[in-house]
Amino acid sequence: MTRSFFYIFTIGGQSGAAKVILTGVVFLLLVFAPFANGQRRFSRSFPANNDVRIELLNRSGTVTVEGWNRQEVNVSAFLEPPVAAIEPRVANGTIYINLVKDNQGRGEVGSVNFTVRVPFTSSVDIETLVGNLIVSNIRGGLLRAHITSEGDITLTNIGARAVSAQNGIGDIFYDGTITSGGSYRFQSVRGNINLRIPFSSSFKLVATAPSTRNISLGALANTNMSYAGDGRRVVGRVGDGSATISVTNQRGNISFISR
Amino acid sequence: MNCTDFQNEMSRYLDGDLEPQRAVEAGLHLGDCEPCARSFEEFSLMLDSCRGIEIDEEVPPNAEALWCRISNVIETESAAEKRIEQKAEPVRRWNFSFGQAFAAFAGIALVSSLLTVVAVRNYLEPAAEDMVTRSAETETTFERFLSRVGLSESPREARERRIREQQAAIDYWDKRVRARRAQWDQRMQQAFDRNLREIDQAVTEYTRTLEHNPDDSLSVEMLDAALNDKMNLLRQFSEL
Repeated sequence: MTRSFFYIFTIGGQSGAAKVILTGVVFLLLVFAPFANGQRRFSRSFPANNDVRIELLNRSGTVTVEGWNRQEVNVSAFLEPPVAAIEPRVANGTIYINLVKDNQGRGEVGSVNFTVRVPFTSSVDIETLVGNLIVSNIRGGLLRAHITSEGDITLTNIGARAVSAQNGIGDIFYDGTITSGGSYRFQSVRGNINLRIPFSSSFKLVATAPSTRNISLGALANTNMSYAGDGRRVVGRVGDGSATISVTNQRGNISFISR
Repeated sequence: MNCTDFQNEMSRYLDGDLEPQRAVEAGLHLGDCEPCARSFEEFSLMLDSCRGIEIDEEVPPNAEALWCRISNVIETESAAEKRIEQKAEPVRRWNFSFGQAFAAFAGIALVSSLLTVVAVRNYLEPAAEDMVTRSAETETTFERFLSRVGLSESPREARERRIREQQAAIDYWDKRVRARRAQWDQRMQQAFDRNLREIDQAVTEYTRTLEHNPDDSLSVEMLDAALNDKMNLLRQFSEL
């Protein structure tokens, strides 16, 4: 399509009006291509304070949350057929979107891929039954990303005081700071948990991988860490141990990378 | 007139202050009642002897002031006496031997501990985490003693009870899932089955480890987590 698009502009004999018409057609094709298979789009904005909280429960699909420098929450979504019902509610400074409740008893419901933009300092609580969760640039009080069954969780550039990431089958990647006094919990049944954190932070660590016993500490191995339970668990303290990091991977690996 | 009436009016009868009719009734009662007649006679004798005493002492000019001084003196002296008594009172000492004292102390400690344990056991359900983290390794001698005498659960009993509770919840949600899963699309069904299989494998693994080493606290903790995961998976999917 890209080739033909440029070919149109290189046709020397075409009149200016024909060029404009052809360009318009191509533009329309590009814009509406996602809807050719029956997809629909949802978009709504909410005025918000810096400490706004969003709670989103999806049935299936990818949820992407990005922090931005605006006093506004924007929720947009592509809905696959059969199109799910979305009825956001706002109460007490919290935006609630619950697709399980909104579509309860409907049987087959198509996936919904959300993109949510929130102020940097928001608290984010997202959950899906099946699908990926991607969160970036969040420095609020709480970040919770839970997948009931399978999907990857990717959390990048995070500065929240409390983080909880949990999935069934799938990988978890965290790239962020460890705030003093904070609480960080990562839990998976089967997948790889990779944590990229500043090793200069102060925290207490309990990392458990009972099945694989594969806990890669990286440079953390040089600190005050000790193995317990025949290598199934690593316990230790870095600095004054003010924050708490708890990592459990029932049937997968755990790796720490210095940030 | 009965005896009580007579006793009440005997003094006025002797003084001649009773109404004539009442005086006649009193006289008749005296004739009929021997105990009252005896009392009357004794009382009459007492009055007669008192009438014979003459008071020779002179009353001082200010009797009230004199009595006030006397009572002050008496009060001061009695207070001083009390203080002396308190100081002089010997300290009561329990003369127990060391063995007796130790036995008494141990008895009190044991009884109060048992009462506390029973009260706590009756009124407070232990937190789920306690059941998970408790193991034979972490059990104190006192806890072992209590579980042996049947006052508290051993870690193994607590764990088994917790697993039974979790299993009951899992069975409940599983029934709901079975009733609804036909409505899910194929992708949902496959994702659910894959995850359930993984969790079940983990549960089997920890159960096997615990069969070989029942006191492996880490496996206890992981089994609890895996059962919780299973419960959550079933619960969430049952709401679809």
